[in-house]
Amino acid sequence: MTAVIEASGLVKTFGRTRALDGFDLTVQPGEVAAFLGPNGAGKSTTIRILLGLLRAEAGAVTLLGGDPWRDAVALHRRLAYVPGDVTLWPTLTGGEAIDTLGRLRGGLNEARKRELIERFDLDPRKKGRTYSKGNRQKVALIAALAADAELYVMDEPTSGLDPLMEAEFQKVVRELTGEGRTVLLSSHILAEVEKLCDTVTIIRDGVTVQSGRLADLRHLTRSAVTARTRDDAAGIGELAGVHDFASGADGLVTFSLDGDHTADVMAALAARGIVALESAPPSLEAMFLSEYGTAKASK
Amino acid sequence: MSAFAGTGMLLRVALRKDRVRLSVWVGLVVLLAFYCVDAVKAAYPNEGDLAALLGFVQGPAGVAMTGPGYGLDTPTYATVFAGVYALYVYLAVAFMGATAVVRHTRADEESGRSELIGAGAVGRFAPLTAAGVVAMGASLVTGVGIVGATWSYGSAADAWLLGACAASVGIVFAGIAAVAAQLAERARSAMSMASAVIGAAVVVRGVGDIMREHGSWLSWFSPFAWAQQTRPFAEPRWWPLLVPVVVAACLWAASAVLLARRDMGAGLVAQRPGRSHASRWLAGPYSLALRLERGSIIGWSLGVGFSGLLYGSLAASVQESLANLPQNLKTVLLAQDGDLVDAYAATMAFFDALLVACFAIVAVHRLASEEAAGRAEVVLAAAVSRRTWVGASVVAALVGSVVVTLAGGLGLGIAVGASLGDSSRVWPLVLAQAAYLPAVAVVIGVTAALASARPRWVSAAWALVGWGMFAGFFGQLVSLPQAALNASPFHSSTSPGLRSSRSPPLRSWRCWRRARRSWASRW
Repeated sequence: MTAVIEASGLVKTFGRTRALDGFDLTVQPGEVAAFLGPNGAGKSTTIRILLGLLRAEAGAVTLLGGDPWRDAVALHRRLAYVPGDVTLWPTLTGGEAIDTLGRLRGGLNEARKRELIERFDLDPRKKGRTYSKGNRQKVALIAALAADAELYVMDEPTSGLDPLMEAEFQKVVRELTGEGRTVLLSSHILAEVEKLCDTVTIIRDGVTVQSGRLADLRHLTRSAVTARTRDDAAGIGELAGVHDFASGADGLVTFSLDGDHTADVMAALAARGIVALESAPPSLEAMFLSEYGTAKASK
Repeated sequence: MSAFAGTGMLLRVALRKDRVRLSVWVGLVVLLAFYCVDAVKAAYPNEGDLAALLGFVQGPAGVAMTGPGYGLDTPTYATVFAGVYALYVYLAVAFMGATAVVRHTRADEESGRSELIGAGAVGRFAPLTAAGVVAMGASLVTGVGIVGATWSYGSAADAWLLGACAASVGIVFAGIAAVAAQLAERARSAMSMASAVIGAAVVVRGVGDIMREHGSWLSWFSPFAWAQQTRPFAEPRWWPLLVPVVVAACLWAASAVLLARRDMGAGLVAQRPGRSHASRWLAGPYSLALRLERGSIIGWSLGVGFSGLLYGSLAASVQESLANLPQNLKTVLLAQDGDLVDAYAATMAFFDALLVACFAIVAVHRLASEEAAGRAEVVLAAAVSRRTWVGASVVAALVGSVVVTLAGGLGLGIAVGASLGDSSRVWPLVLAQAAYLPAVAVVIGVTAALASARPRWVSAAWALVGWGMFAGFFGQLVSLPQAALNASPFHSSTSPGLRSSRSPPLRSWRCWRRARRSWASRW
């Protein structure tokens, strides 16, 4: 199976700023790939290179088997895009903008468009300039999601949406991947990425710092456990899978726990008589914070 | 006074934002004044030779394009500058004042910057006040510059009067722009409104001045006439300047009242729901570009068509005035075309062609503004190539130019035909207007090339229209070298004998190819 997106060693500079500095990204067919990174890490730059709006200075990039710069038009018929910062034509209504954008890329699915307008609760008769940020976002989302595309590229697709609409968006994305379509989305909403995505690529200062299947990356993350036991819990720190163990004066211990060892460690804790237990699940957020944190520290 | 809180701060922000743009504006206007002063002296080293000018400036077309002609019976360098060239200096100041106000009011509001500012400790009237102070300040500084330019004429009082006139025009049109900025929801529409008023003011005073020597009652409806009726260097009088002072005060009060009555971001006309689907017709990059240009095409067609009607309706009085002209003037005027009405109409067609070129620049300007707003990104991310995208805007500008040209030509032709009771006049005038289309195509090509190379350069295209206007109206009078005349895309259109490899169609084709190439290579 050939990858939908295959980028390696991408370099892009703006004046003296190196926005991308040898960045790699691979997205396989049928997967939902998340693309994470702090503000200014190079997410939008990467997406624009993938769309052939910018030209990379070095590195190789293949999208749907073509060259995104050279074959832009042909490739764009097969993909749909939601920009990070949606601006609409002030004099066109939302409905007109959706139809126009759809037709510009080669048509959209009328039935799905009507359904999406309904589901996202959009009034398509308002002029572009009168929409709020969230409603502008909906217009761009509907225009992209109503397209019968092989690949959907979305730059922070849910920014400005309310939680109900976010949930609706996640449903739609699942429906799309159920049909075998591929999605690349950049996001800051980690809960959303955890729910939706199969693979994660983390970019920082223009370089890939983590990438892989979300399930595989979980091993990098650990639950944060805080427990109070009747008996002394000092031995817990010696167990396999326990890291950063610390015990307080009042019998309170905190440590982080690898998921694979949860059963053993919990049994050991239970043997010491658990009084109180709090466990924060392994989260992307922990990974995210640790990656971002080191970025800050290294600066 | 809390409604004005923060004005000082906003004023400093506006000056900081505008330090280059406004300096260039002021500098260019003052330079224009200095250049005109110098050019007349260079072209007519002997002040006595200025009488040769009279043939042009005292004919109806000349009056329409210059002014009421005070002091031109015994022309001096000073009266020729004040009576002929000053209008163009005033025109430049008018645009400077209007753009400055729109830029700091509605443009900020449309982009959302005002929301951020309004949430701070900033009074409701502060942005409008700051914009007004910037525009008036720039007008006054320009006025002082023009005093400097006319100082060499030796009459300090008249120089100061002329400077004050220039400043008064800037201040009045800043006020008109302030009202337009309250009425329109978008900066573009506000600027179109203000430009339409500027255009109407030029036409009204032209028609008014043709109706009667030294201006009729109609002239007095135009801010340009208020400045010209002070008769600097002829029989100077200051009192007409009271009119712009009072009118500007009323306009600023009106804009404040309108501002106090509306919501932020809103115009005065309430929004109605529009279509929920795009029409079948709106289906690709070309139809999108035309759809976006639709309102502008309609507005410009009405404006240019109306100005054609107005000028054309004077054909009968132009023909009458022929009988009263001295014989030597007749020979000057009739040398070229043999028909005074045709000569008059040809000048008006040239004037309308300049307006069409202005429309075209504004239309192609969309390339730059769409890119800046990020809308180019979504279009280019669809199945639209860069070439098609640039091409769509260029085609929309061309189609719009054809429509506006037809409106102007028909307006002029029908009015001339009706005024003389001669329907055979209509089509030749439509064709005469259409003959300028290749020149407009050159302007479109240059604008597209500039927008493609660097969106920020696009405004430089206005220089082409400015040069075209100067070379067309005054090129012969100040004996510009042939090469300088040829640099105007409108020049060879007026003289078919000059068409060679440098003819407009070929030049526009070259510009167009350059535009496509520079877009394809930019990233």
